[in-house]
Amino acid sequence: MIRALAFALALAALPVAAHDLRVFASVSGQTVTVESTFSSGRVPTGGEIRVLDAQNVLLMTLDIGDEGKTQFALPEGAANTGLMIEVEVSEGHSDYWMLTPDDIAYGQGKN
Amino acid sequence: MKALMTAAALAALASTATAHYGMIIPSDNMVSQEDGRSIDLTLSFSHPFEGIGMVLERPEAFTVTHGGKTTDLLDRLQDTQVMDHAAFATEYRLDRPGTHVFAMTPKPYWEPEEDAFITHFTKTYVSAYGDDDGWDAELGLKTEIVPLSKPFALWEGNLFQGIVKLDGAPVPYAEVEVEYYNEDGSAVAPSDLMITQTIKADADGVFSYAVPADGWWGFAALNTAAEPMQHDGEDKAHELGAVIWVHFEPWGAK
Repeated sequence: MIRALAFALALAALPVAAHDLRVFASVSGQTVTVESTFSSGRVPTGGEIRVLDAQNVLLMTLDIGDEGKTQFALPEGAANTGLMIEVEVSEGHSDYWMLTPDDIAYGQGKN
Repeated sequence: MKALMTAAALAALASTATAHYGMIIPSDNMVSQEDGRSIDLTLSFSHPFEGIGMVLERPEAFTVTHGGKTTDLLDRLQDTQVMDHAAFATEYRLDRPGTHVFAMTPKPYWEPEEDAFITHFTKTYVSAYGDDDGWDAELGLKTEIVPLSKPFALWEGNLFQGIVKLDGAPVPYAEVEVEYYNEDGSAVAPSDLMITQTIKADADGVFSYAVPADGWWGFAALNTAAEPMQHDGEDKAHELGAVIWVHFEPWGAK
């Protein structure tokens, strides 16, 4: 499934270089937490999070929250296919995290 | 003939007198999210250039430190073989981005040829998911090399620098042994003097070494403990080694 998500990423034509924004997402129960930070340790003051499914369909768009953290409910069916989470702060500052089915199962204590 | 036998005996002695190294070798030291979420770690005790294994008893401690928090991993170690000798291995899931520092404290090893005990406090640094935060972490071990160069994301030819510490304080002019993990046996030393290279730190305990080839390199700073250890009722010296394993990448130019 990681490969499927990687393919979706290529279609999305997101800049591959991470620049200095770092994105990490994890699951606890039914909640997804996205953490966005700069390599300096500072957090972005604004920006957009796009959540896509494995078929590259945009599911939702969210703002980056306080302390660079954003939470949302795990979409139905995502546990089986995973999610692509793209974060764009400004031109040249974007990154992504592929939330795999394994990540989700791990966060739910199923593996 | 006597002279020849003496030479042969000396050669045999020389072959076993090269440096011992505690080793922690991960399957990957810069793990991207595309690489997966787990790494394999192998713990051993050896002469890494010559590929001569030694028995590693179950260590006294094996930990991972991330974000200032240290977690005990000793119970996770599984028996394995490295260079045909007892060693240990485990798989570890990297839960979060950042630098994970794996550290082993072995049981003191009695080395009759050196009439001394040897304890190598051994560590290696693994970066997860493109995040190098914590790369300069100091663990507070009895003795350790605190990296001044990021201990991953290094090209072959880069200079590696670190501070040798004992009981938390820099060790002026500390002796540091450097050895390549000659995993496939392809490296050949023109002289036994080059199997283990020896350098010294400066007055502030800082040492520097330019690495000639990609692969895993071990740096071992050696000091003698103030307190001797007992062997057969006699005081014996106790060598304290601060070992760090660092991987250097091949230069990327085509």
